[in-house]
Order: sequence, then C-alpha cells, then structure tokens
Amino acid sequence: MAGLFAGLKILEFGGGAAGPLGCRYFADHGATVVRVESRRRPDFLRLLRYTPDTKGGLDGSLMFAAMNCNKLSVALDLSHPRGPDLARRLAMWADVVAENFAPGTMAKWNLDYESLRLEKPDLIMVSTCLNGQTGPHRSYPGFGGQGSAIAGFNHLTGWPDREPLGPYGTITDSLAPRFLALAVAAALLHRCRTGAGQYIDLSQVEAGLVCLSEAIVTYSATGEVLGRMGNRSRHAAPHGAFPCAPECGDDDRWVVIAVHDDRDWDRFCEAIGNPPWCRDERFAHAQGRLAHQEEIEARIAEWTRDRTAHSVMEQLQAAGVEAGVVQNFRDLTEDPALAARGHFRAVDHPVLGSHLVEANAIRFSSSSEEIRSPAPLLGEHTEYVFRELLGMPAVEYAALHAEGVFF
Amino acid sequence: MRGFGGSLNGYRVLDCTAEPGFLAGKLLGDLGADVIKVEPPGGDPARRRPPFLGGAPDLEKSIPWLALNTSKRGITLNLGHPQGRDLFLRLCGTADVVIECCWPGCGILPLVAHGLDWETLHAANPALVFCQISPFGRQGPYAAYRASDITVVAMGGNMYPTGDPDRPPVRCSLPVSHFHAALDAATGIAFALWAREQTGEGQLVDISAQEAVAMANMTGPAQYPLTGAKGSRTGAVFRAGRACFRELWPCRDGWVSFALRGGPARIPGIRALIEYMDEHGMAPAYLKERDWSAYNHNTITQEEVDAIESAIGAFFLTKTMAELFEAACARHLMLAPANTPREILAADQLRARGFFVELDDLSRGARLTYPGAFAKSSIGGIEPRRPAPRLGEHNAAVYAELGVAVAELRSLARRGVL
Repeated sequence: MAGLFAGLKILEFGGGAAGPLGCRYFADHGATVVRVESRRRPDFLRLLRYTPDTKGGLDGSLMFAAMNCNKLSVALDLSHPRGPDLARRLAMWADVVAENFAPGTMAKWNLDYESLRLEKPDLIMVSTCLNGQTGPHRSYPGFGGQGSAIAGFNHLTGWPDREPLGPYGTITDSLAPRFLALAVAAALLHRCRTGAGQYIDLSQVEAGLVCLSEAIVTYSATGEVLGRMGNRSRHAAPHGAFPCAPECGDDDRWVVIAVHDDRDWDRFCEAIGNPPWCRDERFAHAQGRLAHQEEIEARIAEWTRDRTAHSVMEQLQAAGVEAGVVQNFRDLTEDPALAARGHFRAVDHPVLGSHLVEANAIRFSSSSEEIRSPAPLLGEHTEYVFRELLGMPAVEYAALHAEGVFF
Repeated sequence: MRGFGGSLNGYRVLDCTAEPGFLAGKLLGDLGADVIKVEPPGGDPARRRPPFLGGAPDLEKSIPWLALNTSKRGITLNLGHPQGRDLFLRLCGTADVVIECCWPGCGILPLVAHGLDWETLHAANPALVFCQISPFGRQGPYAAYRASDITVVAMGGNMYPTGDPDRPPVRCSLPVSHFHAALDAATGIAFALWAREQTGEGQLVDISAQEAVAMANMTGPAQYPLTGAKGSRTGAVFRAGRACFRELWPCRDGWVSFALRGGPARIPGIRALIEYMDEHGMAPAYLKERDWSAYNHNTITQEEVDAIESAIGAFFLTKTMAELFEAACARHLMLAPANTPREILAADQLRARGFFVELDDLSRGARLTYPGAFAKSSIGGIEPRRPAPRLGEHNAAVYAELGVAVAELRSLARRGVL
C-alpha cells in the first residue's frame, strides 16, 4: 500500500533529534526524505560512542540508526566549491526543506529561504534551533538539555528540596519534532489549496513554552511561580511512586498510584483490604489527605513493598483505582499494550544487524506506517539520488565524483 | 501578515476533549481552524481545576483551563439527550474533524457512551476525520485502565530514568504526557486531512499517550536489546570514566546547568568560563594554567574534578541566572539557566521576537499574557486568536450557523439539551 505521503519529497539538513525526528513522521508514511550529510562534519549522533575502532565507523551509531530509518543519505561536502550549488539542485527537487543548523548557516551557502524561494516560490521550508532565527540570543549554542532548562521544564521537574532535573531525554528534543511535523503538514494543506509556500521558524524553546502555558499564565496573572513538587499533585492525594518487591532480579521497582477523589479513596481502601489506618477520619476527604500525605505515603509504601509492581497495578486497576508500573526500557520492550500497537519494529542494518526502531503514537484506520528500510549509511544513496531522482547524466556525476564533492 | 487566517483557515474542528487533549484543539485553532469546544451543560470538569483568577473557585476562572483553550469557540450540548445527539450529528455534517479523549476516569464520557461511535460519525459525514486520544490506545490489554499523567509517564518509560538515584522516579509537575499525546493528535489530524485531499474520505486517528511518551526516551527502549541499558536515574551528576561530574549548580537566585564535558564542541566553552571567572578575580592558578586542549572527562580523576568544581561553584554563587545566561550567550558557554516563569517573562530574546501575546478578556475583567506562536511563519497566521470561551459563549452563533432558529434554541435550552 502506498503511504499517505507517497510522492512527497523532503530534503533534510542538520542532525541530532529535533529536525530528523520531525521528518521521520513523513518518512514512515511514504515520503522520500533525503538527508544531506558530510564526512567533513557528520551528524553528532553518528559520533556517539564513536572511536577509531567503532564497528562500521560513522555508520555504527545505534541511536542514529534508531532515529533515521526510512531515509536516504547523500554525502555532499558543502564547504567544497561545488557543494552549495548541488544542494540547491536538491532543494529545487524537494517540496519541503528542513534544517536545524545554527541560524545563518544556510544563508552562508545561499540556501536560505529568501534565496531558494526566488527560484521556487511554492517551497515549504522549516528551520528549527533552540532560540529561533532572530533575536539577540539566536546564536546561543545549545542542545536539548539546554532548551529544556531555558523553557522551564527543569524547574518543574524533581524534588522541591533538590536540584531541578528536567524529564529524561531532554524534552524539547521530543516536543519540537512533533511541532515541526504539525507545522509542515499544515503548510502542505495550505499549499494544496492556494499554491503558496511558506517559511517556518520553529524555536524549540518557544514551542516548549506553549506547552507550559499553565505556568506562564499563572505567573502573569497571579505572580505565583509553580514549582516542582516531586510526584505530588496540587489537588489529589495520595499521588506518587511507591517501592515494590524485586521483579526479574531487579530491585529498583516502583508503582505509581493516584487517588483523585473521595470515591477513588474508598475504592483504594477496599482494594487493599480496608486496614484500620485507611479508615482514619482525617483521610476521608481530599483536604485531609493532602494535609497528611507523608503519613499516607508511608502506609502505602508498607503495603506495596512486599508486592510486585505488576501485581499492584493489576489488583488496583481491577478495583477501578489508577495505578501503573514505573516501566524501565526493558519493560517497554515486553509491554503488551505497546506490542498490540506494533510500537517496536525490527529492521536489518548492514553494520548493526537486526535492531529495533520505534513507531510514533499515531495509527490511521486507512493507512499504515511502515518501516521500509534501515537508517542510511552515510552517502549510501548519493548516486541514486543525483542520477535517478535528479536525472544527472552519468558523465557529469562521474566528473563531480572525481572532484571530491560527494564526501 | 496580520489578518491572514492561517494555514488551516476554513477547516472546522469539534473539540470534545477532556484535559489531556486541550492542547490539540488549541494548536489547530492557532493555525487558523475554526475550533469549537463542545462541553456538557454543566461545563468541562477541568473548569474546576485550581488555581483560579482572583483566587476563588469560578467556572470561568480556572487558569489551567484558560491557558490551553485559547483559539476556540465554545458551545454546550447534552449528548445524553436524544436531541443533543441529533444536533451533534448535524454539527458533524459541517465539520472536518472531531477530537475526543477516551480516557477512563477523566470526567468526560467518550462519545461511544452516547452511541456516537466511529461508524456512526463516518456514516453521518464520510469526509470526517475522527481522532481519539487515549492513555494506551483504543484497543489492547490496558484500554480500560485508569490513567492520569503520572501513570502514563510511568508506563511510557519516561519516569524511571528521571530523578535522583536515592529517591523514587519522578515526573514533571505539569502533565507532559498530555503535551506529547495532544501534539501527536494534532499532527495525526493534519496528516489525515492531507490523505483526504487525495481520497475524499475521512478516517479514524488513534493516539496512544503511552506510545507518545515512549518517544520522549530518545530511542533508549529501542536500543535496549543491544545495549542492555534499561535506563537509570543519575540526578544532578553524570558519571564518565573515573569520576562524577556536577551538572546542576546553585547560583545566586536559582540554578544553572553546566558540565565539564570535553570534546571540540565543549572545550572552548570551558576556557571561556575560566576567562570570565578571571575577570572577576575568581579563577585560581590551577584553572588558568591547566592545558585544557588535552582535557578529557573520561580520564580525569575525582580529586581534580573536585578542585575544578569547587572554584566554579564558588563563582556561580556570586552571579544570578540572568547574568550567567548573558555571559553564556556573549561568550558561547554551554550553560543554561533553569528558568522559572519570572525569568522567562523577562527574557530579552522572547521580547525581541514578540513572543508573548496579551488578549483582552473583557467578560472576565482580565488581560492575560499567553505564550504566543509555537512557530513563526513567513505568511503569519499562527497565533492564539481569542481567549478561552465562556461556558456556552457561542451557542447562539454556532447553532444559528446550523440553522437552528432562535425560538428553537430557547426551547432546547429549556429542555436541557444545551
């Protein structure tokens, strides 16, 4: 079955997660996504844990492979005198150009939107960096870890008496790709109806802040700075993670339990066998439970400590009480709900062998995402893209190749 | 370009979501779609969530509700009433998209509870895109499980590696699972509208919030079979080679992140920091005289790290987050402040880009400041367009568009249909 973006052509410059994961959304649904890469300045994900003895060299990074399946790669040295012109020819082929270099980099090669659109007025182009393409801090050098701190996610994550930590995985790196995919899809719909292209400047910090609207509006309206509260909630208790018995030889096991209202509390007490402490009058209503959280949490921990996280989840959920295993990465690979959705797919990579990639969270009733190919080796498709997709004559390709621009 | 209606201008979205899905409709509205929030007659349960403008509980003043329902109109409709159900199907005939949350325990029943399943909606309007956001997907072993943010983040694997090693795993105090899932919902809807351009047919878009959270682990789970790494909590330090390094540091008015990582991208930043410290007379000789070009965090001893970090830590305590961030921008230090809304609303960068938007909300007697466009487009048209609707604010307008006469509207209201 042809994917819903079959025929769509995307050209991708840059590296890391924010841009490339955004383009993956389209690649998984049949778009042709061509990455422009170079050995002169490889995507830093290709260098993760890279040493001179890394098997496969620049093609041996598992993280890169897990993020970039379904894409093609051309090796093109943009610092070579012929490089920018060849990149321009690729851009003329594309419907969408996506890049996440430092602001100003594309302009250096005359590959910025203002320049490209003169030749291709209906081009859709998206640039994403931490702080956006304009403003005094546009050139601030940072990765997702910095973006997450600047946007305020770190301040909101962790324990009130300790350092701000940020959610694992530098959250702006997982939010920005979704914003990118949304903005590009909306631009495609607009182009479809009007014929007009557009340029999208996606600041990862600003996009993150839109998610944190509650904190911004609260502060601007009331002066209150919402802070990190561990696992507690402002309006419900108990609400936290509780220690559990070892499972699969692993003793770092936890279950979360959340009681949202007094009916939940009754169900919870019932489910754990109505021990006398549960029936303490002070705990019957939300206000009282919020005031005595520490005591309740200690009691619950006594109950969970001898049980496995999975058994607690099943027992409480069967009673209509919210509970869930704090799953680690291994648990995810064995999770039946993710398995039912086909979240993990195996793919054969020429260097890494068989490895897993993950599908995004969207399922359509009339079309399916598909993992058609592993992540490309650096430059694997250079000849195919220039010769077959761009129709470059063999002689010209050979001459350029001899000049060393495909590096 | 002010006045441009946005890339999704002309599409109509019926937003039947509960709290986990608010952001999806808001983003479609920011892009120009006519988003109509459909609430039960008593109002969305999330209107009761604190904090409130002015402090006292008021259905029109819940800040979490106001913050994520901008760019929407609002109507009330009792789907439990046969006539309410009929009106909803008529609305579906005028709409391109319906979004809802199938979220056990969220306080809003799914449409299917009112006999409004996908087949019924599809029959009413074959071009309709129907998006369901649920904790674990429409089907599967956990489909009936109750799950608010904390459970989805836990089950999605993002909580286990977040936090300190000596404490329980921890979540972000705002619901990140909602953000991840609602964003995938908005994206999935736009994709389905694209598919409709080719086929003319709408389709069902099924979003699992757990699966959306899994992506936030940056492929850690996919790597597990080959690496054996199931994730770990490292807190404010990271370990490399023979030593532990601090990543989060107290400064005069908060915290900054900075780490003594080596490599060509990072070493110039360490040098620049030492220069900056030296200008304030706070760079000891062993920092200035060290050969940083050979610095490698994988080979340094803990004793050396401790000495370097004690000097850096003492310096940071003399500076504010804003001062350190200014220096980071000017000197290319990879240092970031753990900003709170106080710093964010004062940030020069965001002001220079005109990021924040103020919207007059006359009926609430307030002028609130919101985060603005999630991205800037050269043709404009991405912005919060109006404050969150009051309960039933657009009943008259929306039902009139549907051809419901004024007298009939009054009668419907009297009979509890609206």
